[in-house]
Amino acid sequence: MTAAAALAKNRYFPTAIGISSFVAFIALVELLIRVGVINRFIVPMPSDVIAAFPRVIVEEHVLQRFLLTAGEAFSASILVTIFGVAGGVLLYRYHLLRLATETWVAAVAAAPLVLMYPLYLVIFGRSALTIVMMGFTAGLAPIVLKTLEGLLATRRVLINVGKSFNLTSSQQFWKILFPAALPTIFVGLRLGLIFALINIVGVEFLINFGGLGQLINELAERYDLAGTYAAICFVILVSICVFILMERLERWLRPVD
Amino acid sequence: MAETGRLRLPAARPLGLPLRPVTALRIAIIVAVVVIWEAVSASGWLYRDVVPSLVAIGKALYATLSDPTFYFHLGTTAYEIGIAMVIGGLSGLAVGILLGGSKFMSRAYEAYLYYLGPCPKIIFFPIMIMWFGVGPGSKVAMGAISCFFPVALNVAGGMREIDKVLIRVGKSFRANTWQMVTKIYLPAMRHPVINGARLGLGVALIGTLLAETKLSNRGIGFLVIQAYSIFNMPQMYALLIILFVIAIGANTLIGRVGGLDDIKRS
Amino acid sequence: MAAVPSERIDAGTLKVASANAILTVDDIVKRFETPDGVLTAVDHVSLSVAPGEFVGVIGPSGCGKSTLFNVIGGLLDGYDGTVKVAGERVRGPHPAIGMIFQEESTFPWRNVIDNVAFPLEIAGLPRSERYDRARHFVKLVGLDGFERRYPAELSGGMRQRVSMARTLAAQPKILLMDEPFASLDEQTRLLLGDKVLQIQQQLKQTTLLITHNITEAVQLSDRVVVMTYRPGKVKRMVEIRLPRPRTSEIVSSEAFGRYVAQIWSDLREEASRGLDDEESRKLHEGEKR
Repeated sequence: MTAAAALAKNRYFPTAIGISSFVAFIALVELLIRVGVINRFIVPMPSDVIAAFPRVIVEEHVLQRFLLTAGEAFSASILVTIFGVAGGVLLYRYHLLRLATETWVAAVAAAPLVLMYPLYLVIFGRSALTIVMMGFTAGLAPIVLKTLEGLLATRRVLINVGKSFNLTSSQQFWKILFPAALPTIFVGLRLGLIFALINIVGVEFLINFGGLGQLINELAERYDLAGTYAAICFVILVSICVFILMERLERWLRPVD
Repeated sequence: MAETGRLRLPAARPLGLPLRPVTALRIAIIVAVVVIWEAVSASGWLYRDVVPSLVAIGKALYATLSDPTFYFHLGTTAYEIGIAMVIGGLSGLAVGILLGGSKFMSRAYEAYLYYLGPCPKIIFFPIMIMWFGVGPGSKVAMGAISCFFPVALNVAGGMREIDKVLIRVGKSFRANTWQMVTKIYLPAMRHPVINGARLGLGVALIGTLLAETKLSNRGIGFLVIQAYSIFNMPQMYALLIILFVIAIGANTLIGRVGGLDDIKRS
Repeated sequence: MAAVPSERIDAGTLKVASANAILTVDDIVKRFETPDGVLTAVDHVSLSVAPGEFVGVIGPSGCGKSTLFNVIGGLLDGYDGTVKVAGERVRGPHPAIGMIFQEESTFPWRNVIDNVAFPLEIAGLPRSERYDRARHFVKLVGLDGFERRYPAELSGGMRQRVSMARTLAAQPKILLMDEPFASLDEQTRLLLGDKVLQIQQQLKQTTLLITHNITEAVQLSDRVVVMTYRPGKVKRMVEIRLPRPRTSEIVSSEAFGRYVAQIWSDLREEASRGLDDEESRKLHEGEKR
């Protein structure tokens, strides 16, 4: 096999191509700006953006902001997990209630809830509470629905095994139904948490309050172009890291699949 | 005499009321909500008129729907979302087909889409304003990038789910790319495409409207913020209600047209 | 060679009583309401099982044997007749009756040892005792070494063995099995049948096996009950006088072949009735559209 063919067969080759094409793209943009083809007042030079990173991190107290956003996300996550899973269990347990409200919950899940933020501003003021509540509202419905789905999908035979061992209702729920539903519940939690996070950062940006979202807004209003781009990149990085973390967590908690 | 068992659960039986229990419960819930709402509203317990009387909201609703300028704003928003979906949807479709059809491309580039997907796109708005101005252009851009990701990802996934034998059939008849796409890929991917469109609509709606709330002088988002700024709460509620009805309706419509469950979030 | 003895049962109630029967199923009638009218799944079925006995119940598809399984196990109610364990009437799942189901029933979120220890956990046994006992049963079904593995890492046959060990760990007086090997291939079935024979002989476990596989029924049972197509009645009881202890090698013996032939001749009649019934139903369904 020639060296080129061997390289092409390497399992990291596609990923490497992806990364290098991305880098090449950035380099091209840099070149086009320097040459003047792209207006430097609309797109800052990538080199400037990279240079702005350390400045932004230090001057804009990125760590504090990150912690603030993280704190909001954490509070929203706890709330939404408790109420979401409890809601799903409730709907599972009370057949009639589920029949009556399931379509409503699905409808709520499809609605652009984040547009209620001005309403929350009025109710909770321009504060972290608005942001947390917005995250909570956005993440709730998917968790309820997925919890319900997971519980309903428990295979009949597993329920029968429980019955054959004469389990009480409570044992049946905790030892069979809930563990069986857990993978689906985690999918719901991941979805819910992501929606919550998106809404949290988004609302921070919109109401110009909070941590990372607010940082972008502020830098933009100051016309700090390179800084704005740097902040956006930073938020993207953080969001990617959180997402990867959640996936790892999910995989770790579900050894069987 | 042996008792008889039932093989299936009986459908909801009348309780001796003219209503099925499910309907009765729904009505009970709605009535309870209405009563509690009005009570809170009348008591003035939440300050600053945060919970206006349903009558006031009703009046605002009526006023809004009979106001011609409302329809101007509605039209603007609809137009922005429409174009955003066309741009975002078509590019998402193209990219999705490319990524889904080639293992190489998928391994090289799909990760970027996958990890960028859950980012809040509104943070790109300042850039969109710089590139496309403060008018509808930046709103359309927001809607389009929001819409692009779910469509691309769903289509890529859908491509991979297509039964390989169908692709071989197409190739054996020497179909060209366009024919492969229109006669094999798209029909085979009906479900992922519709689902992607639904999700895409949902996020395009959000992206466009949020952009309007942030910086605009027209559109529904603008109206919502305007109501907020002059503290016209009944008006804000009315606008939100209209918005949610439209959003849920559109979601259901796409689903029905595509033959799927009524409302799916993911 | 002597003719193979059997007992012909009249359509009607009959108790083959042993004074010390540990399981007595007496005159069970179970009907279901369906859109097409009332269906009698089990029609006056009686049988009894002595301690340590292995009884196989065989019948064509649709003969009500799974219904019988669910009735005896207590998962179905609303039937006429009684089920008695050691003289005591039973209604509902009973600790003396252990059930092994046809479908895949291991808990995918627990590993092998945790699966098997499940009934002991429910019974409140302390941890170390639980695991000691569970390990014993894991070994019994031949899965020692696999304690920490998860069901997803095991084959279908191994998973059924885990389910078996789990039920056995509860040490039920009576083991009730509903086509536990239905989803496995023939060779695995024969080998697992060996395992079951081994275990049953070692534990002297009273067992009632529901199956549609004649080879399996004859290989494992002391007595085979042949059921009719629905409404399910007992058609014939066949004493299997093959030597014990047995292994799967017995399937190649002449006596084995004769038992199978005899049971098949009874079964074939019922099975073809079932097939005709099925076909005419499908025809009617098609016409309705």
